[in-house]
Amino acid sequence: MSIIVNLDVMMAKRKMSLNELSEKVDLTLSNLSILKTGKAKAIRFTTLEVICKVLNCQPGDILEYREIEK
Amino acid sequence: MSSKADCIFKALNIVSWIIFVGVCIEAGGFIFNTFFTLLLNPVGAIRFWTEVNLSELYYYNQRDYVTVTSLMIIVAVMRALMFYFIVKIFHEKKLNLSQPFNETVRRFILRIAYLGLGIGLFSFWGAKYSEGLVNKGVKIPDLQYLRLGGADVWLFMGITLLIIAQIFKKGIELQNENDLTV
Repeated sequence: MSIIVNLDVMMAKRKMSLNELSEKVDLTLSNLSILKTGKAKAIRFTTLEVICKVLNCQPGDILEYREIEK
Repeated sequence: MSSKADCIFKALNIVSWIIFVGVCIEAGGFIFNTFFTLLLNPVGAIRFWTEVNLSELYYYNQRDYVTVTSLMIIVAVMRALMFYFIVKIFHEKKLNLSQPFNETVRRFILRIAYLGLGIGLFSFWGAKYSEGLVNKGVKIPDLQYLRLGGADVWLFMGITLLIIAQIFKKGIELQNENDLTV
């Protein structure tokens, strides 16, 4: 998919572990892992909102569009 | 799973087992009687199965006898196989009502659909073959007793299940998408 999830980059910038983020955003570790590894098919606005709030960032910092060369 | 659904599944499981045993006995009986009549004693054709007397057909032409009994055997074995798959899916507890759309259930529906179509086609063939024999003046039991009746119903069931399997395919995609929505 051309949408890249940069959650791990933002987590590293904020020095936050997956466990800590999971507790703060009230999402399961498996769901966060799906998001982090780019396996997610969709993300709810509510999830994006709470992640942005906890990581103090913009949606654009987490999601990025990159054209895949074929 | 709710207790009501659980109860329904248990009842269906018991009914499936009873039918499975019945169709297995029937298929086994057809196979045994066919070989018994052909190889050991032609008298077996008189009481081939309950209310099925195939003696006239046997003495008319053995090849026709083999064709009719083969079609009966094929249909009976396919029916037994169908109920084997039904019993198997209940036994393996693959029916998960919280996530009903999965590849196992779709494969199960496809198998039942193909078996239904197969039973329908062979029953139809058997019905037409018997009709031809009756037209030649051979006295053979009713299709209902030969277990070759209701070809149209089997075909209808098969086609309906094929359509349901296609809908299931879309359902699996939607469920996967839903599972991967964070």
